[in-house]
Amino acid sequence: MAATPAGEELPEVRLRDVGGGLSAQVHVVGKVVSARRREVVRRSDGGRRPLLFGLLSDGSASVRFTWWDPPREGIERGTILRAVGAEVREFRGRVELVFTWKTRVGPAGPAELPRLDGDRLPLCMVRDLKEGNEGFRLEARVLSVQAKPVNVGEERRIVHEGLLADATGAMSFASWSDFALAPGEAVRISGGYVRAFRGRRQLVLDERGVVVRIEPTGLPELAEWTHRPARPIADVEEEGGGEATTIEGVVVGVLPPSGLVHRCPECRRLVTGGLCRVHGRVTGVADLRARLVLDDGTGAATVAAGREATERLWGITLEDARERLRGLPDASVLEEQLLEAVVGRRLVVRGSATRDDFGLTVTPETIEPAEIDLEAAADELAARLHGAR
Amino acid sequence: MSLREPAWRVTTRELESSLEEARGTGDRAASYLLSPFGARMNRVLLAGSISAAEPIGREEPSTFWRSRLSDPLGTVAVTAGSFQPRAMAQLRAAPAGRPALVVGKVHLFRGRGGVGFVSVSAEVVRPVAEGDERATVAETVRQTLDRLDLLERIEHEPSVPDATLRSAGCPAGWIRAAREALRRYPEADRAGFREALAAAVRRVAGGGVAPAPAAATAGLTVTVDRPTAPRVEPTAFDRADEAAFLDLVDEAAEGSADGYADVRELLRRLADRGVRTDRAEAVLGRLEEGGVLEEPVVGKLRRA
Repeated sequence: MAATPAGEELPEVRLRDVGGGLSAQVHVVGKVVSARRREVVRRSDGGRRPLLFGLLSDGSASVRFTWWDPPREGIERGTILRAVGAEVREFRGRVELVFTWKTRVGPAGPAELPRLDGDRLPLCMVRDLKEGNEGFRLEARVLSVQAKPVNVGEERRIVHEGLLADATGAMSFASWSDFALAPGEAVRISGGYVRAFRGRRQLVLDERGVVVRIEPTGLPELAEWTHRPARPIADVEEEGGGEATTIEGVVVGVLPPSGLVHRCPECRRLVTGGLCRVHGRVTGVADLRARLVLDDGTGAATVAAGREATERLWGITLEDARERLRGLPDASVLEEQLLEAVVGRRLVVRGSATRDDFGLTVTPETIEPAEIDLEAAADELAARLHGAR
Repeated sequence: MSLREPAWRVTTRELESSLEEARGTGDRAASYLLSPFGARMNRVLLAGSISAAEPIGREEPSTFWRSRLSDPLGTVAVTAGSFQPRAMAQLRAAPAGRPALVVGKVHLFRGRGGVGFVSVSAEVVRPVAEGDERATVAETVRQTLDRLDLLERIEHEPSVPDATLRSAGCPAGWIRAAREALRRYPEADRAGFREALAAAVRRVAGGGVAPAPAAATAGLTVTVDRPTAPRVEPTAFDRADEAAFLDLVDEAAEGSADGYADVRELLRRLADRGVRTDRAEAVLGRLEEGGVLEEPVVGKLRRA
C-alpha cells in the first residue's frame, strides 16, 4: 500500500458525512462489520486480482467498501481501520468507499473510533426507524427485557432481548452488552443500528452503545402496552404487523405442520423424513407446536404456538403425545386430535406480529382464553338496538 | 388483501337475504356473496343449534351430508361432502339440537323465478358449550350493528373518504363491502333487520331459548323478483338434491300401477323429508330442462 503524502492533510470525517458533495478522497476511521474476499479476472490478460469488500461502520453510518489488493490476512469482522485517501463513489444511489493503491489503510485502536455524542445525533421515532439505520438517538420506555444465552460460533454469549416503545410504536431490541435494563425504565439510546429479520425490526446494541436513564416525559406508560385491548386483525395486517400486539378471535383451523414435530438438534429447524434442510441426516428432537388460524371476523392470523402454549391448549404434554403416538396406527390422527382440542376456542393472543406473502403471523408471548361477560354484552347490544330507534 | 378470507360473523337471516355475487380479481379469484347489510362473504362463521345430518344422494355409503343450523333469526343448510372428510365426519358426529359453531364457504344457487338458496359448505363443525355459542352470537350482533352503522354513515355522506372511515376504526374490507351493498341493494330493509336482531340479543342474555332445531320449513329461502337472474351452474349441493329427487322418482314409479311417478305424491314425500314445495319444483324444473325427467302426461313423471 503506497502512501500519499497529501493524505496526511486530509481531515478525518464521519462516515455519515461521506458523499454529499465532499471531495473524491476522504479520511475515515471505522470498524469492519462484514468482509468477504473475491478475485476478479482481468479481461485483457487473464490476470487475477484479489479484492475484499464489506461494510465499514463508525457508529454514525455503515458504508460499503471495496478494497483492491488487500493484505492476505488480518482483516475480519471487528477489525478497526484507518483509511486515508479512500475514494468516494456512488453505486446505485448509495455511497461507497474504494481503497486503491493510492489509499493508505492501516489498523487503528478502539480509542480512535469517533466518540459518539448521543445528544448530537438526530432524534428518531420508533415508527420511522428502518433496516440499516444507525447514527441516531432514540428515547423510549423499556417494556420488557430478558437475558438469553446464545452460541456465537464457539463462543457462548448472553444477549439481552426485549421491547422498547415510544409514543409512535414499539420495536424489539437485542443488546450484546449488559446495560442492566429493567422494564419500565425510560432511556436514551445511541450507537445502535437497526436490522430486520422476516419483516421484524430489531435495534441492535453492542459495547459501543450508550444508554442513559432519562425522565419519561412524553413516553407511554408501561401499562399502556402491557394491557392494550385487542385490535381488529384486519388493521394489524394492514399495518404490516407490530410488537406487543393483542388480537382476539376464534380458532377456525390448524395449519400443518402442527402437533408432534421433530427438530434438528443443531438449528431447531423442522426435520422431515430424518433430513434437516441445512444439516442433512440428523436424529430429530421431538417437540410440540400448533399453527392456529385465529379469525376475528375482520381477518385471520396464524398464531405459531410453541411447546408450552400447545401443551396448555391441548391439555396433554409432549410425553403424553409421544405415548399416544405409540398406540396410533396413523401418525396424522394426532394432528386431528389437536384440531379437535383447539378448534372453536376463543382466545386472546398477545405477541409480535409480522406479515409476509402468507399473511399475518403472530409469535405469541401469551395465549389466554377470552373471557366474555355475556350479561354485559347483552345489555350493551340491547342499548345499541334501542338507541337506533 | 389477506390471503385467507375472513370468516364473516353473520346471522342466518343476513345470509338468506344475500342474493348478489361478486368476483375477486387476479387468477384464482375467490367469489363472494354480498349481503344487503354490508358483508362480502367468501367464508362465514355461524353460531346456533345444529340438526342431525341427513345423507343426500343414492351412493352407499353416502358421500354427501346435510344439516341445518338454526339461530334466533332463521335456518341455513350446512353441507359437507367426501372431499372434506374432516368436515363430513364432524357434521355427522355433531349432536343434534345442541349448540355448535360452523365455519364454511358460502354458496348461492338461484333457481327458476329468482329463488335464491344459500348454503354453507362446512370446513369446521364444532359442538360448543352454550356460553360459547352465546358469546359468538354477541360477537355476531356487535359486528352486524357495526356494519349497519357504517352503511348508514356512508348513505348519509356518500363522499366520505375511506381514510376517514379507516381512522374511525372500520376495516378496509368492511368499507368496500358497505359501498357495494349500498349500490347493489338500494332498497334493503335495514330497519326491519335491526328489529329482528333483538331476538339474537335475547339469546345472548340467555333467554330466547335455542331455536327449535331444523324444522326444515323454517325460512330457508328468500324469493325475490329477479327476472334477469343470470343462470348459475348447479353446485354440488344442488346436484345432491337432484340425486335425492331421482331416488324418490324411482321409488314412486316402482310403487305405482302405471310405472309413472305422480308429481303430487312426490311433492308430498319430499315435504315429509323437509323439502319445501317451491324448492322441490326448482329441482324438478332443472331435471326436466336437463332432459333427465319427462312428463308425458300432466302430473306424471318418468325418467327420460
